[in-house]
Amino acid sequence: MTDVRGATAIVGVGSTEQGQFPGLSANEIAVDAIELALADAGLTKADVDGLVTCQNLRSHAGTDEQIGLLAGLNPKFSATLDYGTGNFSLHLAIGAILTGLAETIVLCYGTNQRSAKTDFGVAVGGGADFKTVSGLVHVAGPAAMAFRRHQHLYGTTEEQLGWISVAQREWAQKNPAAIFRTPMSIDDYTSSPYLVEPLRRADLTMISDGGAALVLTTAERAADRPKAPVYVLGMAEQTALRGDQNPENLMRPWLGDVASRLWSSSGIGPQDVDLLYIQDATSVWVLQMLEWYGFCKPGEAGPFLAEGHTRPGGSLPVNTNGGQLSESYMWGWLHLCEAVRQLRGECGDRQVDAPEIAVDCSSHDFLKGAASILSTHR
Amino acid sequence: MTETYSAPYSGPLPDLADPLTAPHWAAAREQRLAVQGCTACGALRWQPAVICPECLTTGGEWTDLAGTGTIWSYTVYHRAMNPAFRDQVPYAVAMVELDEGIRMVGKLTEHDGVAIGQRVRASYEAVTDDVTLVRWSPA
Repeated sequence: MTDVRGATAIVGVGSTEQGQFPGLSANEIAVDAIELALADAGLTKADVDGLVTCQNLRSHAGTDEQIGLLAGLNPKFSATLDYGTGNFSLHLAIGAILTGLAETIVLCYGTNQRSAKTDFGVAVGGGADFKTVSGLVHVAGPAAMAFRRHQHLYGTTEEQLGWISVAQREWAQKNPAAIFRTPMSIDDYTSSPYLVEPLRRADLTMISDGGAALVLTTAERAADRPKAPVYVLGMAEQTALRGDQNPENLMRPWLGDVASRLWSSSGIGPQDVDLLYIQDATSVWVLQMLEWYGFCKPGEAGPFLAEGHTRPGGSLPVNTNGGQLSESYMWGWLHLCEAVRQLRGECGDRQVDAPEIAVDCSSHDFLKGAASILSTHR
Repeated sequence: MTETYSAPYSGPLPDLADPLTAPHWAAAREQRLAVQGCTACGALRWQPAVICPECLTTGGEWTDLAGTGTIWSYTVYHRAMNPAFRDQVPYAVAMVELDEGIRMVGKLTEHDGVAIGQRVRASYEAVTDDVTLVRWSPA
């Protein structure tokens, strides 16, 4: 097996303005992001020989055929994933580079789902019918059930969960690009109404328009780029395609399989991590992944969060961009951009002191998990 | 003369013409909880599928369950996350662990006093002349 460690590096990141942009198509936003990422890498599109794109949920926008045409690219290798978070796309690009299909790949995601008023009130994936007639609509429903179960097993409180969105709001206040920057205290959180009990508005991702892109290349080619390369030291994935047939599927125990392979294949462990990014369609994903990735023991994420470890100045900064709960939607892609910028030391007021290792953990619904380790060194 | 009036059901309805799921809806109209069982390996499955995911045998036989189980977890919708449920909030949905071992998502007939571990039984709500939906009530 080819060794992933240090073989590839992210040499450019690009993110467009985030918000609401009626009149802009998802594809032109994606191409704007590509332009920004190439400029960041000091490259032109003539230097790119690979393209990995991300299709929008419940829309046909974002395929490689559409993006390649709009961006004027005929790469050696191109592919589209119809699910997000950036991590899965990054792994596909790493695989393509390690097997020689391409040397320099641009990865992108653009969306106009806010302006297009995409309906998230229907279930993702198969078998929507029985759940929909039962009223189990929107990811908030199963996430709320998962948190209720966590409360039942471990005594986790709503206030402990609230520290996830409060901490991320604190980070977002330091991020000029974030959409939600209004101060939010834990009292503000606990006094806000339930949407899908026990979850509140602040526990759920916003939906916004915007774009993000990354440029990935070989470690050799990365060496002479204008900005410091951010190397990939490890990656892992696990699916749960059998859905509810899997035992305890709402708790997503298979994320623990991603974690164990991530750590064992890289020789890196949770204690080595300076920055943690957890894709946060709901706050419950953060709670679950802190435990499944071993940052705290099963059942102990609640007290860990309430102790403030994930807040600015804490021992384990989590989602320093504000995440999907406060920065912008972007299906997790900006978590990767933020990890790169933090490792380069470009983050201004929210810059963490000299981080060397960042981990990005993400999941696609109740179906797939992925994680990557990024570092300033090989 | 008194007249009773109830608003037509505005929630989503299943496709009764779908041959894969039609036996479930036909059973619900008769107040039975039916799922498929594999004719080769005997595994019960939910939701309906054309192939047994355990042994890959095509088809399956519909079989009635006891219609009893335990709440594994639940949530209460205070906001209609889909406009079709605007008339129904607040309402509770549970993941029910059936006594036969499989799990099923279902709306509860009550949203107060729900608890994990609570025993529930299937109940049947005729939401239109043709459609009866399976709900869950305290046992």
